[in-house]
Amino acid sequence: MESFDTWKLVSLSPLPMVALFGLVLALVLGVGLACWGVRREATRKRRWLLWTLRVLAGVCALFFLLEPGLRRLQVARVKNRVAVLVDRSGSMSFPVEPRGASRNDTVATALETLGPQMKALEDRYAFETWAFDPELTPITVDGLRTTPPTASRSDLFAALRAIKAGDTGGARKLSGVILFSDGVDNADLTGGLTGRPKQMLEQLGVPVTTVAVGKGGLTDLAIDAVKVDDFAFVRNSISADVEIHGRGFADQAVQVVLKREGQIVATKVAQFETNDETQTVKFTFTPDQTGRFVYTVAVPVYPDEVVAENNTRSFALKVIRDRVRVLLVAGRPTWDERFLRGVLKQDANVELISFYILRNGTDNSGAFDEPRELSLIPFPREEIFQKKIDTFDVVIVLNFGSEDQQVSLQSFRDDIERYVLHGGAFAYLGGDRSFGEAQSPINPFEKVLPVSTAGLASLEPFVAKLTLPGLRHPITALGTGSVSSEAAWAAFPPVPGMNLTRAKPGATVLLTHPTLAVDGSPAPLLTISELGRGRSMAISTDGTWYWAFPSHAAGAPTRNYERFWSNAIRWLVRDPDLTTLSVTADPASVEPGKPVGVVVVARQSDYQPAPDAKVSVDLIDADDGHLVGQHSGGVDADGMVRFEFPPPPAGAYKLVGRATKDDKPLGEGSDAVAVRAVGPELADARVNGPLLEEIAKATGGAFFDGTSFSLSDVPLREPLLVEVGRSKDQPLWDRWYWLTLLCAILGLEWAVRRRFGYI
Amino acid sequence: MPALSGVERLSRRAFLAAAGALPFSAHAFGDASRFIPAIVKHGGRWDVRSSGLRRLAWELQRRTSVEVQLEARPITLDSPRLFDHPFLYLSSDGDFPPFTAVEVESLRRYLTFGGFLFADANDGSDGAGFDFALRRELARVLPQSPATVLPSTHVIFKSFFLLDSAPGRFLNKPSLEAYLINKRAAVVYSQNDVMGALNRDVSGTWEFEPSPGGQRQRELATRLAINLVMYSLCLDYKDDAVHLPVIMNRRR
Repeated sequence: MESFDTWKLVSLSPLPMVALFGLVLALVLGVGLACWGVRREATRKRRWLLWTLRVLAGVCALFFLLEPGLRRLQVARVKNRVAVLVDRSGSMSFPVEPRGASRNDTVATALETLGPQMKALEDRYAFETWAFDPELTPITVDGLRTTPPTASRSDLFAALRAIKAGDTGGARKLSGVILFSDGVDNADLTGGLTGRPKQMLEQLGVPVTTVAVGKGGLTDLAIDAVKVDDFAFVRNSISADVEIHGRGFADQAVQVVLKREGQIVATKVAQFETNDETQTVKFTFTPDQTGRFVYTVAVPVYPDEVVAENNTRSFALKVIRDRVRVLLVAGRPTWDERFLRGVLKQDANVELISFYILRNGTDNSGAFDEPRELSLIPFPREEIFQKKIDTFDVVIVLNFGSEDQQVSLQSFRDDIERYVLHGGAFAYLGGDRSFGEAQSPINPFEKVLPVSTAGLASLEPFVAKLTLPGLRHPITALGTGSVSSEAAWAAFPPVPGMNLTRAKPGATVLLTHPTLAVDGSPAPLLTISELGRGRSMAISTDGTWYWAFPSHAAGAPTRNYERFWSNAIRWLVRDPDLTTLSVTADPASVEPGKPVGVVVVARQSDYQPAPDAKVSVDLIDADDGHLVGQHSGGVDADGMVRFEFPPPPAGAYKLVGRATKDDKPLGEGSDAVAVRAVGPELADARVNGPLLEEIAKATGGAFFDGTSFSLSDVPLREPLLVEVGRSKDQPLWDRWYWLTLLCAILGLEWAVRRRFGYI
Repeated sequence: MPALSGVERLSRRAFLAAAGALPFSAHAFGDASRFIPAIVKHGGRWDVRSSGLRRLAWELQRRTSVEVQLEARPITLDSPRLFDHPFLYLSSDGDFPPFTAVEVESLRRYLTFGGFLFADANDGSDGAGFDFALRRELARVLPQSPATVLPSTHVIFKSFFLLDSAPGRFLNKPSLEAYLINKRAAVVYSQNDVMGALNRDVSGTWEFEPSPGGQRQRELATRLAINLVMYSLCLDYKDDAVHLPVIMNRRR
C-alpha cells in the first residue's frame, strides 16, 4: 500500500453547524444594520470608508467565529481489476492461418508476452484471466495450452455481462476488460451489435478492448444455412435456398447435392468467383408423399479444409396435404352421384375432379352435329388411369360396370391395382352396374375391392346396422361414442336395397344388412381393407343418397351424411389424427452430440388412449436402413411414452414405432429426425473483426486486429478509491496577527465614526 | 337450319312398342336408383302435362345414360314420400290455390336440402294465371331468394346439349328464371310451357305445335328439358375446369 500526505482547510469550531449558521447570519445582519445607519452620510467618500471598515471588521469577526485550521492527512490508493476474457469456443481451435498455430495457442502466447507489462502495472491494476465457454471460469496461461477449446457456442454478450455483474461495488472495481476472441458469436450478437445488446454495452460503464484472434485465408467450404419452410404440401413444389460459403475457392465450381434419406433428389453447381464469398443455390423439388422426411444438402470435402463437418447439413421437412384431391367417376348420373358431389364440392378440404358417363354407346342423342351440339367430351381414360392417377389422393367410382369399349376400364386394372398398392385410396359404390348379375364379366376393380360378388341383389329397403368394429371405427363414428353413433345410424332412413357381396379375407365390415346373410355372416354393406400401402372401401348399394336427402324429410336436420363422407375420406387418405399410433421425433432436428428423443402415443381402435399398450421404437439410418438403436416399454395413463437414444452420428434417421395391446397390434407409425453434422460453432471458420470493433467502440475501448499490442494503448479507468490513515489538525485562527488586525480595524472604525459625528 | 336426325312423329302404339324395346337392365336395382319425374299435385289443374313428362323420360332414356322410370309420380307437397323424389315438376294452365302452411314449410325444406323444382307455365302467362300464382307461392317458400334471370352462360345451357335459348311451346321469354340457394338453382321457371312441346294428346299425336319455330323448336324444348334433368342430377359438373376449353371452343 502506497501512502502520501495531503492537507485541507477545515473549521475547528466546536459549535454545531446550526449554531454556526445562526451566528454567521447575526453577524451579517449586524454589519448590514451598521451600513444602513450611515446611509445618509452626505459625502460619498466618507460613506464608502465607513462601509469598508465595517465590512472588514465583520470579516475578521467571522474568521474568529469559524476558527479555521489546517488538517494534514495520511492516505492510500487501492488498485482496481482488469478482466482478461479468453474465448474458449470450438472455433478457437481453428488455425490462425493455414498450417499455423491455433487461435487458442496464439492467445496463450500473447498473454505470456503481455506478462511483463501487466507486472509493471500491478501497483494499480490486478489482472484476472477468465475463460468463457460460455460460462466464466478462471484460467491460467498453462490451462489455455493444456486444455483445448471445445465449447459448442460463443456468447460474447453474456460473457461481458457476467464479468460486469461481478463488479458489485466492493473494494476492487473493474477498470477495463480485454477480450480475446475470433468474434464468431452464435448467440445474441449473431447478426451484429444492434438493438438492446448495443444499448446495454454502451451503458456497461467499463471500456472493453477487443483483440481479434485469427486471420482470413483459410480454406473451407461450409453450408452456412438452408432456408426452407418447415412444411410443404404434397405434390406441390417447394424451394430450398442453400447458402454456401467458400473460402479459398476462387474461380471454382462446386457440386451441391440434395438427397432425401439416401436418394438423390437434385444436383446443382455453385460457382465461386472470389476467395471469400457466399453463393446461394436454389433447389426446387416436389414431395410425392405425406409424412416427415429428412433431406441432406452436401458439398464435397476438399483437401486442406479447416472443417469437414460443415460440408453437409440436414433438415427435416414435414409434407402435408393441402387439399385432398378426389377423382369421382360415375357410370351414369344418379342421385347417389348428385348428393355425393354436393358433399365433396362443399368440403373446402377437397379438390374434386369428376367424370360422368352421360351417354352410352347405344344412346342416340338426336343431334345432327354432335361435336357442336353436345357438351360431351371423350372420357380421357388413358390420361387419368395411366398418367395422372398418382396425382389423386382418393379415387371414388360409382356404379361403373361397362362393356362399352369406349368407356370400359378393363385395360386399366393393373394401373388401378398399382395405384392402391403404392398408397392410393379407392372407394366404390355399387348399384346395378356393379355387383350382382348385372356385373360386367370382368370387374376392373376386382383386385382392389375388399368384397367379391355373392349373389342376387336384394331390393327390399332396410336400415343399415353397425357391426362391432363399426361401433368404434372412425369412418362410421357419427357421434361422440359408440352409443350415439349407433343411434345416428339407426335414425337414417332405409336404403332401398343392396347387392349381395362377401368380404374378402382381411377386410373389415362396418355396416351390414340387418337380416340377410352371406356364408352365415350378415351381408356386408360397407367394407374396408388395407392393400399394400393403400386403402380400399366398398359400399354395396347406390342408395346412400337416402342418408343425404330423405333423412331431412322430418325432424331436426343432421349433417351425418356429410360427416360420414368426411370420415371416410380422412380414413382413406390416412389422416394423421386418425392413426392409432403416433410417433413424433422430439425435436425434429438434433444438434451434434445430443440424444435423439421420440414421443409415442398409443390409442385403441376407438381412439381412446391405450394405457396398457407395449411400445417399441427402432432408430434406423435412413440412408442405408441399418438399425442404430431400439427401445421398448409401456405407456402411461394417457397412452404416452418418451424414449431417448444416445447421440448417433450426423445424418438422417427414421423412427419406426409399433404398439401392441394384449398381444394384438395397435398399429405402426414413423417419423424422421435429422442429426446435424456440426453445431453453429464449428460451421463458421471466419474471423469476425467488425463485430469486435463495434463492441470496442460501443464501450469506449480499443480494437486490435491481431495479438501484437501494448497495454499502454488499452484504455483503463484510473483507480478512484482513497483510504485515509492518520490525520492532524493545526489551528490558524489563534495567530496574534489576526487578532491585531481585528482590533486595528475595529479601532479605526470607531475613530472614523467619532470623527464624522456618529458617536 | 341443319336437319334434325332421330326426330320423328310416333304413334302411341309405336311409342309403347319402342319403350318396350329399350335396353333396361335385366335385373334393375329398384326404382330408387332411377330418375323418376314427380309431378306436384296442387289445388289447380296439375296434371295437364303428364304425357309430356312421360315423353321427357323416354327421351332421357333414349339419348342419355340416365336410367328412368317412365311414369311420372304425382305427389303432394306435404307427402312423407316427397323427399324420395329429388326432381319435382310443378305446372298448370292457370292459377292454383295457395299452398298450405305445411306445404310451404315442406317445400322450403325440400329445396333447401337439395331438392330441385322445375316450374312450367303451361298457359304461357306473364303476370296472371300460373305466373302470378307461382311467384306468389315462391315468395312465401323462399322469401330470401328472389327470382333471377339465368344468363345464357349458366351451366343449365350446357349440362348435356349446348343451347342458346330456352324455348318451350312458346317463345314468350328468351330465358329461364331461377331461385338460387347458395348459388344452386333450386327452382327453375319457364314461362314458355316447355312440357307443352313434348305433350301428346290421347291419340298419341303432338298436342301443340311450337310457335314460331315448329319442329325445330320442339327439338330445342326437348333438349332444354333434358338439360334441366341433367342439371338436377349433375349440378355444375359441366362448369368443371376440364370441360371449359372444349365448350368454349365449340361455342365459337
